[in-house]
Amino acid sequence: MRPILSIAGTTVGEAIRRRVLLIILLVGILFLAIAPGLSILSARQERAVLIGLTLGVIQLTSVVIAIVLTVYMIPNEIERRTIYTILCKPVQRWQFLVGKYLGAVAALALMMAMMTVVLIVVYAIQQQVYSPDQLAPLAKAPVMFFVQMSLLAAVAIFFSTFVTPLVNFFLSGGLYLIGSAFSSFFESISQSANVQPFAKGIATFANMILPNFAYYNVQNPLINPQQAIQNETVYYIQVTVYGLFYIGILLVGGILIFDRREV
Amino acid sequence: MKKSKSMLIGAMAVLAVGQGLMSSGVILPQWSKNYKPRAEGIDGQLGPDQLLFALAGFRELIAGILWVQADRFFETGNYDAILPIIRLVTLLDPKQIDVYSTGMWHIGYNFTDEEQRSDRRYIPSALALGKEGATKNDYTYEMFFETGWMWYHKVQDDFPKAVDWFLQAQEKKDMQQARKNVLGMAYQRNGQPDKALETYLRLYNESDALLKKEQIYSHFQNKETLEKNADNTLIRMIQRGWLAEQEGTFDQGSYDTKPPFDVQFSARVTVEEARVIRVEGFWGVRPVGTRVRFILRDSDYPDAIPGGMLWDKTDTVSLDPPRDRTWAQDELFVRNQRFNRKLDLSKDPTMYSFLQPEYTIEFYYNPRVAPPHIQDKFGWSGEGMTDKNFLRTDVREGSRVVFTQLTLTRDQILRRGEWADKVPIVQTKNFIAPRNVRTEDEILVTPGMLSEPLEPKLNKGERLGGGEN
Repeated sequence: MRPILSIAGTTVGEAIRRRVLLIILLVGILFLAIAPGLSILSARQERAVLIGLTLGVIQLTSVVIAIVLTVYMIPNEIERRTIYTILCKPVQRWQFLVGKYLGAVAALALMMAMMTVVLIVVYAIQQQVYSPDQLAPLAKAPVMFFVQMSLLAAVAIFFSTFVTPLVNFFLSGGLYLIGSAFSSFFESISQSANVQPFAKGIATFANMILPNFAYYNVQNPLINPQQAIQNETVYYIQVTVYGLFYIGILLVGGILIFDRREV
Repeated sequence: MKKSKSMLIGAMAVLAVGQGLMSSGVILPQWSKNYKPRAEGIDGQLGPDQLLFALAGFRELIAGILWVQADRFFETGNYDAILPIIRLVTLLDPKQIDVYSTGMWHIGYNFTDEEQRSDRRYIPSALALGKEGATKNDYTYEMFFETGWMWYHKVQDDFPKAVDWFLQAQEKKDMQQARKNVLGMAYQRNGQPDKALETYLRLYNESDALLKKEQIYSHFQNKETLEKNADNTLIRMIQRGWLAEQEGTFDQGSYDTKPPFDVQFSARVTVEEARVIRVEGFWGVRPVGTRVRFILRDSDYPDAIPGGMLWDKTDTVSLDPPRDRTWAQDELFVRNQRFNRKLDLSKDPTMYSFLQPEYTIEFYYNPRVAPPHIQDKFGWSGEGMTDKNFLRTDVREGSRVVFTQLTLTRDQILRRGEWADKVPIVQTKNFIAPRNVRTEDEILVTPGMLSEPLEPKLNKGERLGGGEN
């Protein structure tokens, strides 16, 4: 466990020092800070627009950070040959991979936490709401986004064991898009009477194989709080477990591939 | 190594099965119920970049940005530009109720001609948006109330629809107490004062209970209002003979609605210039407060019915009203028993295209929309009103209305062809042109407003001169 934690700690340090990530983070925070200005301009929807915009900015920024952070992780180590200095120590490849992943997730958590704090401060100031009871629910969506980004990071790190960063960028980004949109599409297909059973079977198979990123888009009830969601906490736990399952699959797959790879 | 590899593959298989079962068996149904974005039709209306963002889970972000954009258009008065935004935002995030209600109000009220006449061709779309908003947000009263309000306040006709929507709104737990009173008003407009009274009394009891629970001014105020509403309704039910009618004793007593008052309606329409018409006429009611509905429309306007149209026939929110169709509607204000209004329809060719060959002019008066002081005589459903020429009982169910139609051709309205040099005039058979000078008994003197008579004192019936023109 120690080597994993050690590699994770080093990865967090590297991530914090990477200027490109800091710039993305700063841009995100800047957008969060100016969001109240935009929400004031919206007729009768100040609150909804403020939360919608800020959560959207956090999610979008996190997607970019998650992909940019992870696509370069393994290939850079191989390219710079720094991986030799690690693997020559009593560290196994799977430990290296898991350590890298955990480091990426920790860095993501740090950056997303910063953005969430800015979101809560901005919301409190703009809405003149300072009660923790009213502010705490805002953190629900970023927490779910964090699970979503952890899953995305796992996807990216899986691909990074066998494809180049550029290809990985588009692969991971593409899978995120498909994984976000497919569920609605799948539901339409499965409910349509005109679709042939064969096509339905393929859709069902694809729905089971593809990671479903849409499950984590829970922001709508926060933006429109009139909706009553039953068993919200149970749902959050279920999708987190689902995410952990998927992350496990991707990491194991990554380990199997990385183990056979020549470095 | 081989063993650990097999274990890893085995773990992968277990995790894969686990996630598959969780996804399809547990999470998907809950997600579909609570979180699935219902945004049918956005693909055809979003740009590629917007669509990409929307599909990627950033619907609310896009919706927010679009709504901010809409505000800019509101401020600059670019109302046409707001329509597609409203549609997009409601498609992207159908839970944004304020966008639905603002959009509905905007579509229903804000499109007017140069003389501030509302473009009624938009009403079906506004109602369709309200219907859609209510269906997609059936957990709250808001869109049910807003749609009911559109019927009650804007359409001002077909009040059973308003009642129905307000009733649905009342079924929702979050319905505001003070807003519940409107159901009583709608019942009155619908000619059901008994239901209105029942509603007021029920709400009064509710307010009383709330006031006992919580001593706040709004409960007190609401209770007072309901008490006054119930009092007024009860008094009117007696004075207007409504209760007697229900009991079958109407013939035996003296009531305000007896005998029915003949309004002696007559009207004339003159095409003074191309697309400019003057509407004038007589309405024998002295007190001010009467508004006679005037409609000039294509004779074959789709879904038109006497005095209106089937406003909620469509479920489609169309951003573009039928440009080739003409529907001009106004309320003619009656003063000193006369109405006289010039309608310039020449400045808004997109609203009044006059592309069809024949046009129907309708005059429609339904006592259900009359102010209370006139309803005191006419009753809720016109039982105290008559007109020897134009009283109709077949136009609106359960209501005695004044209704008549006249016809103009396109050439007459555009003053073309044989009508280039002639002034087209259509009028009811009983129309008598007004006199220039009124007799004393025709001048309505408001006490305290005039210290001296306007004209030399005359004997009753004596004229100053001029006579009929």
